Amino acid sequence: MASILLKNVVKSFGSFVGVQDMNLDVVDEEFLVLLGPSGCGKTTTMRMIAGLEHPTEGEIRIGGALMNDIDARDRDVAMVFQGYALYPNMSIYENIRFPLRMRQVPKAKHDDLIRRAAEMVELGPFLDRKPGALSGGQRQRAALARAIVRQPQVFLMDEPLSNLDAKLRASMRVQIKHMQRELKVTTVYVTHDQIEAMTLADRIVIMNKGVIQQIGTPDDIYSNPANTFVAGFIGSPPMNLIAGTAQNGTFSAAGVKVPCPASLSGNITLGIRPEDCQVGGDNLQGQVYGVEPTGDITYLTVRTANKNIEIKAGREFRAPIDSAIAVGFDTTRLYFFGEDGNRVGVK
Amino acid sequence: MASIRKSGGDNLLVRYIILVSWTLVCVVPILWFLTIGFRPRTEIIVPEPIYWPTWSLDAWRLLVSDWPIALYLRNSVVAVAGSVVIDLVLAIPAAFALARYEFKGREDIGFYILSTRMMAPAIVAVPIFFLFRNIGLLDSVWALMLIYAAINLSLVTWIIRSYMLDIPKELEDAARTDGAGDLTILWEIMIPACLPGIITAAVIAAIFAINEFLFTLLIASTSKAYTMSVALANFTGGSDGVIYNAIALVSFIAFAPILILVILIQKHLSRGLTMGAVKG
Repeated sequence: MASILLKNVVKSFGSFVGVQDMNLDVVDEEFLVLLGPSGCGKTTTMRMIAGLEHPTEGEIRIGGALMNDIDARDRDVAMVFQGYALYPNMSIYENIRFPLRMRQVPKAKHDDLIRRAAEMVELGPFLDRKPGALSGGQRQRAALARAIVRQPQVFLMDEPLSNLDAKLRASMRVQIKHMQRELKVTTVYVTHDQIEAMTLADRIVIMNKGVIQQIGTPDDIYSNPANTFVAGFIGSPPMNLIAGTAQNGTFSAAGVKVPCPASLSGNITLGIRPEDCQVGGDNLQGQVYGVEPTGDITYLTVRTANKNIEIKAGREFRAPIDSAIAVGFDTTRLYFFGEDGNRVGVK
Repeated sequence: MASIRKSGGDNLLVRYIILVSWTLVCVVPILWFLTIGFRPRTEIIVPEPIYWPTWSLDAWRLLVSDWPIALYLRNSVVAVAGSVVIDLVLAIPAAFALARYEFKGREDIGFYILSTRMMAPAIVAVPIFFLFRNIGLLDSVWALMLIYAAINLSLVTWIIRSYMLDIPKELEDAARTDGAGDLTILWEIMIPACLPGIITAAVIAAIFAINEFLFTLLIASTSKAYTMSVALANFTGGSDGVIYNAIALVSFIAFAPILILVILIQKHLSRGLTMGAVKG
């Protein structure tokens, strides 16, 4: 149980900078998710916390203690990997026991600890099997058991669910969150899946190209994206971004006209979430490009001036392709971004 | 559909015919050769071949009584097994370092190790003879053990390295965060995980060592240190002229262990042979 602190951390690989001047404070018992596209530096950040990579510059502290020169084996962190990383030659029992042996936990305690960890991830009946004889979900649960068995200060999870199918992923997600709350261990979780990030995190850190874009609670990130990257990354489908100009309290682009704060002028990007658009209105004129009913909701794509706008329409909505359509925006939920991509015009 | 199935059946038949014929081409000489070893001497020097042998243990008796086959076999086993052990002890840590540590010149060292294989053995034959004479190891099975180990070390290192490169790095990272050091990782994670590769490398090294001829001939100046491969070349069957059935039997005895090894590991063998070459 410990806080994690990253201070001005830089990691470069030759001339390529993987992580740039990163400052991050993970509070004790927090569930923090690092989210971003592949290559954004999130895994590198996690590996630096684990001690598997060394920062080029900056400080890493766990529980207040400086970790820069401490080997991975001596940091009290447990890591769960995307590919499970179970030792193939050992039974599940021996796999879970490995960290206990390595850390000289008294032998008498082993059996009890292993069985308790295995119970927690519902793996009790499979302890004698080899990893090869387990399904993907069971393997990942075994990897979790190996991480929790020695009650580390910090859990690090590197895309632990991305090799599982969708249904299993959802159930494992709940299990991980439940387990983290029960064990109260500070957790850093890396993913590129925004649903995982939104559902699991106390706070989300969004990264792109080695730079933190925004840190905040899931609600905060969703409702107040700091820039176009965050706006375009979070949400399914993500926020529509329309480039145009603002003048005298009106934002306009080809086929689009909405009110905007009077302080804005020049080149501005408008952001509007698909669920804040409705069919009928006078903010956007375009043609139906595609209609995708999914049962509970119908995704409507409207094309205007060579740009596709995604809209969540009612479940009953149907329209022929290429028919003209007018769309209204919820004007209380408009987002404006300046030329540098950062949010502007916030009241 | 029916016609497709029929043509599929025809294909299968053709395939079986081809495979069976090829199997016969491969196996019949070996069996023929084996029968020669168990025929009386007179039966194999007749002008017309006799297909059904009259079984006889003459050649076997001759071998056991007149020829120190047990010594040669023992020499082979000691030199080959010893060389394989030396190879593994040296190659496994070397392969681990070459596969996993990042250090300057790693690729160059890897290539240098492999390049020792590219040299024609005859080039070093004379220096090696003098070297072993000076340290007083001529005519000794221990010298053969060292030479076999040296010859195969590069190949063994390279094969094991290729297997180690195939072991996901995650496994090692996991062990490290679990609290393991380098030696523990090598011993408890890497060696068990690439055991098939280690066995393959060992068997390939053993096969090469069993067949080694040039250096054995050079070092073993008397029959004291002869191995099967050199003894076989010098073997004519005794003082009564060339005795082919005894030669056939000795050849088969020399050949059988290799055959057995290859059958045991054939699944890994082709992979082991190509991997060392292709991956790098």
